[in-house]
Amino acid sequence: MISVSNLSYAFKIGKKGKENIIPVLHDVNLQVAEGEIVAVVGRSGSGKSTLLNLISGFIQSEVGSITINGTDVSKFSESKWAEFRLNHLGFIFQSFQLIPSMSAFENVELPLVLKGVSVTERKKKAEEMLKRVGLESFQHHYPGELSGGQQQRVSIARALILNPPLILADEPTGSLDSENEKQLLSFVKELNEKYGITFLMITHDHEVASIAHRKVEIIDGYLREEKTLHEVQR
Amino acid sequence: MKFKDKHRFVRSNMKKNRTRVWMTILASTIGCAFLIMLASIGFAIHKTAVNDVMSFRMVNEIQVVKENGRMTEKDVKKLEQVKGVKTVTRKKYVPANQLSLGEYHNFADVMSAHVPSEEKAGFELEKGRMPKAKNEIVVGYHFAEELRKDLPEGLSEEETQKKMKEFSYKGDLLNETLKYHLTTAGPENKAEGPVKTVDVKIVGIGKKPTREWARDNSVFITEELYHEVISVLRKQDPKIISDNELKSYGEVKAFTATAEDVKEVTDRIEKLEYMTYSIIKELKEMNVYFTLFKAGLIFIGAIAVLIASIGIFNTMTMAVTERSQDIGIMKAIGATPKTIKRIFLLESAYIGLWGVGLGTILAYITSYGVNFVLPIIIEQFVNEKPPEGFMLSYIPWSLTLIAVTICMGVTLLSGWRPAAKATTVDVLKALRRDV
Repeated sequence: MISVSNLSYAFKIGKKGKENIIPVLHDVNLQVAEGEIVAVVGRSGSGKSTLLNLISGFIQSEVGSITINGTDVSKFSESKWAEFRLNHLGFIFQSFQLIPSMSAFENVELPLVLKGVSVTERKKKAEEMLKRVGLESFQHHYPGELSGGQQQRVSIARALILNPPLILADEPTGSLDSENEKQLLSFVKELNEKYGITFLMITHDHEVASIAHRKVEIIDGYLREEKTLHEVQR
Repeated sequence: MKFKDKHRFVRSNMKKNRTRVWMTILASTIGCAFLIMLASIGFAIHKTAVNDVMSFRMVNEIQVVKENGRMTEKDVKKLEQVKGVKTVTRKKYVPANQLSLGEYHNFADVMSAHVPSEEKAGFELEKGRMPKAKNEIVVGYHFAEELRKDLPEGLSEEETQKKMKEFSYKGDLLNETLKYHLTTAGPENKAEGPVKTVDVKIVGIGKKPTREWARDNSVFITEELYHEVISVLRKQDPKIISDNELKSYGEVKAFTATAEDVKEVTDRIEKLEYMTYSIIKELKEMNVYFTLFKAGLIFIGAIAVLIASIGIFNTMTMAVTERSQDIGIMKAIGATPKTIKRIFLLESAYIGLWGVGLGTILAYITSYGVNFVLPIIIEQFVNEKPPEGFMLSYIPWSLTLIAVTICMGVTLLSGWRPAAKATTVDVLKALRRDV
């Protein structure tokens, strides 16, 4: 599903011509198979979010290559990346990233709107998805009127609405209490088992990592080890 | 993303900042209305000038003169052969112009005209018919008004004006027989001794001129009577008219079927080495000056629109800044820069459209109001009626079109940069709430 080869990345800080180059990732190689849940762990500043941002296309590297679902996305333009994200990727963010001026329903249907799906189909799908995450009675509520757990469920519904084969999650439980965290993780597991959705999750939470089939650790920008689920559990 | 969804998006965004958006629309409305109103003054003056020129002559009329010498029958025949010429009218003016009915006198514009060509050119009678016999004449619509008894001497100008109507002939002149005085003497230089007269019968009265202020005091006599009058006048003064003048025409005009033919026919006549003068030619020269004048006014008006566009630029820039996080989220989940740009361009276009729409309506209302109220004010304060057909503001559809194009163009241009800025919002910064 994901193939990262020899990927390196460095931040450039300062004025053009006088930039300070701060290397973040060094020669990263990562393979994620279809239907796998992979957890990327590491300390703060180790480069795990940068890796996810590179795979998401939010930033681009000049060194190395990324292939998602058989498509080499390394040299994609901004527009192509946007289209690719809409059609192939789902996102779960730590701070939910819902548009505050839109209701739960409107937030969930947003990817369908961007794709140009008809109103009737949009309504049907969004309602169905909100029902799936248990928020059918909250569809007209605005994010400000929902709890953290509910907001994250709206965010998951939005991520799933276009049935993407891959979901990228950046600290998905970071803003949730333990109860909501448990619910979210069981939902992720269910989605993986029932629908074969691939998950790549950035986390420093061992609970989150415990549901992964594989755990990958990044230390100071180097992908140090890859452990199987069995190894992680041991 | 479908247009309908973009529209929904934009509407909900505009509703969020209703006051700011409406203030921007108000600025655009005033800018647009100012542009239209200012230019409408130019258009009104142009229209008045054109109407003024057109009221004197017919649009399909071409006056023809020879570079050297006078127009003769040979020239008339030549002109009649020119492709596109419907008819050629020719007139000979008569120096004797006094006609009387009992104690009533009129010093009219007497002329001999070729009746068939006059009829073909559009000359129409109010009543009666065209002359058939030698001593039959046709008079202009105002002939009767100008036919009046001698006014008492020593009257002031104001009293004279009042008495003129009172002393005018009141009856119907059709079929009346008048005495035509065969002398060049006028009211100022009275003839000495007896003057020969001929009896002439009015068989037709010309139609009222379309312009309220125009006076038609002409008299059409037949060709035969013309020759008789001239021979009598030449006996009195042999130098009064030369042989050459006798054979030629004082005024020759070619008429085309439509106004559109005038230019081509004029070119053809000029190729035959005649000099021409037509309303189209005059209008062409006049139009150049007025076009420059109107362009100047539109330019000044456009400055107001430009100032209003600064408001749109500010509003849109603020909208982009305020919605940076939303833009970032939308980009993250798959909105292309093109979609983002179109949403913001659509928003500025809506502001512009509202401004242009309301501005145009306001301009039309103001224009109508000014044209209605101004003559009343002039009459009240200056104690004089404004000229007929006078208007201070005129908004043709072309001006509306120009104004709408300018306003919409400026609006889109001012919204372009903020829209472009929206596409450059950094997704990561937006998601981190750093923007």
